[in-house]
Amino acid sequence: MSDLRDGYIVGTGVFLPGEPVGNDAMEDHLGRIAGRDSLFGKKALRWNGVESRHYAMRPDGSVTHTLAQMSAEAVRTALDAAGLERRDLSMLASAATQGDYLVPGHASAVHAELGAGALEVASFQSVCGSSLMAAKSAWLAVRAGEHDVAAACAGEFSSRWFRPSFYEGTALVDAKGRLRAEADFLRFTLSDGAGAIVVEPKPRPGALKINFIDIVSLADRFDPCMWAGAPVETRADMASAWAHVGPRAAHEAGAMALLQDFELLKKVIRAWVGAYLQKVDEGRIVPAEVDHCLVHYSAKSLRAEIVSLLENTAGMVPEEKWFSVLREVGNVGSASIWVMLDRLVRSRRVQPGQKILCVVPESGRALVGFMMLEAV
Amino acid sequence: MSDAASDVLRKLTIVFTEFEGRLEQTHLIRKLTRGRFELADYQAFLIQLRQQVKDGALWMSRAASNIDEAHLELRSALMRHAVTEHRDFRLLEADFIASGGDATIIRSAEKNVGSEALSAWMFHEASKPNPFGLLGAMWIIEGLGSIKAQEWGRRVKDTLALPDEAVRFLLYHGENDAAHIEEFKDMLAMVLPDDAVAARIVKTAQVTARLYALQIEEILP
Repeated sequence: MSDLRDGYIVGTGVFLPGEPVGNDAMEDHLGRIAGRDSLFGKKALRWNGVESRHYAMRPDGSVTHTLAQMSAEAVRTALDAAGLERRDLSMLASAATQGDYLVPGHASAVHAELGAGALEVASFQSVCGSSLMAAKSAWLAVRAGEHDVAAACAGEFSSRWFRPSFYEGTALVDAKGRLRAEADFLRFTLSDGAGAIVVEPKPRPGALKINFIDIVSLADRFDPCMWAGAPVETRADMASAWAHVGPRAAHEAGAMALLQDFELLKKVIRAWVGAYLQKVDEGRIVPAEVDHCLVHYSAKSLRAEIVSLLENTAGMVPEEKWFSVLREVGNVGSASIWVMLDRLVRSRRVQPGQKILCVVPESGRALVGFMMLEAV
Repeated sequence: MSDAASDVLRKLTIVFTEFEGRLEQTHLIRKLTRGRFELADYQAFLIQLRQQVKDGALWMSRAASNIDEAHLELRSALMRHAVTEHRDFRLLEADFIASGGDATIIRSAEKNVGSEALSAWMFHEASKPNPFGLLGAMWIIEGLGSIKAQEWGRRVKDTLALPDEAVRFLLYHGENDAAHIEEFKDMLAMVLPDDAVAARIVKTAQVTARLYALQIEEILP
């Protein structure tokens, strides 16, 4: 058994499609369900704090980039930033909430776009947390000596799910043409783009050593909180999954759209806080040692009682150390953490020896990932 | 705030979130969150809750009587708590009756296995000299009041289409979070720093949480 090697992030890359779309233009871009303005749009925007985002689908429904193209573009940029060529890459792990296809795995589609010869691939599908699943796979491949250059990408093409045709004529829209809140909020929250990292066993100037990636699932306690593929009321019963009734009936039942349960989200947030404090209690995370805190969540939308709870339990990283790009690039699901990291690195704020804590909560079925990086 | 208090609050928060996760997995709460709750479930829940709410003020009083002169402030705080809460079980009875239940049933019902264990544990702890570990028990039980009661109350009301009068204990019993934590911090400051006391508070919270969950599990095994 040979010794484990360290893994370093030596390059980051981001791809955001098209021009930024401001809050005023959003609904024109996505389309209006039954021709009506959204009931929850303004509320959702106040809550999530997003002011601008990118879409890979034009208002007429045509597509500027597939998710595979966006993801491949982010990998190219990350390789470039690392001073590497495509042929140097030997392993690619992908993350997405929804690939372009149902089958096969999304990593195959990204590889097909990327070229780069024969590769090892791994596809991770979850929600935001899939980013760290893919990153852990790439990191462990390097750590174990299986590969010398591994990339992890993550991307979302959410807007295609938000077209009126995804909701109209389904049980999610009432007789007056109003869309259920479980669906409407997400339309104003999620947008498109991709991010990627490249991992190598050798440090370079500016590289970030991965100290750990811990992923905690609490799915044994909670029903699905953000899901697609089952109706709202019966989602906890796997027999209600869309494929059991077929695509047409599932669509009519409102089982195909992306949905989120906000009542349950409150409980899931408490569970995330518990999982985080557990890491603090074990000494795995030492808040005082964190120089930059990247949370896939906006500090603004963290309710005051959660912040005060974190302060009371010696778990809060002071807000001036939080770094977020949510306001200007939107919530890009699994890609968000790489977009944040890329912008942080390029902002030149990171000094050698500094520690970066990345926290990726996933409401899907109560999962949270933690990654600690240390600048070389 | 002292490091000792922050450490205890952190450990207690972890215990509470684990506890909440365990409750979510119980058959009774799963039925509630999945919209399958029935009136019989609610009434069975109130019956067990009544025993534990009635005991609450009693074990607090007993605990207060075992606190020495060096900790008079804590003794006063527990006594005030006991006075505030010692009639709350009557509100539960009224809810039970308003939901269509018979007063004699809720007043004469037996505790289930979990309620028996919880009650015995509380009185056992309260009978010790300076039973400061019970702050951990208060954290769990008051946390339920401030964090879960309203959420459950709203679900019960919506699912069963009950009038407010039948869900008053759950809907209006929870006070606001911030005040609850501030008051708790004041009580912690009266007994910390002390490693042995800190450990006992956390342990008592763990046992109380487990037995409380057992009480809920036993309502609908």
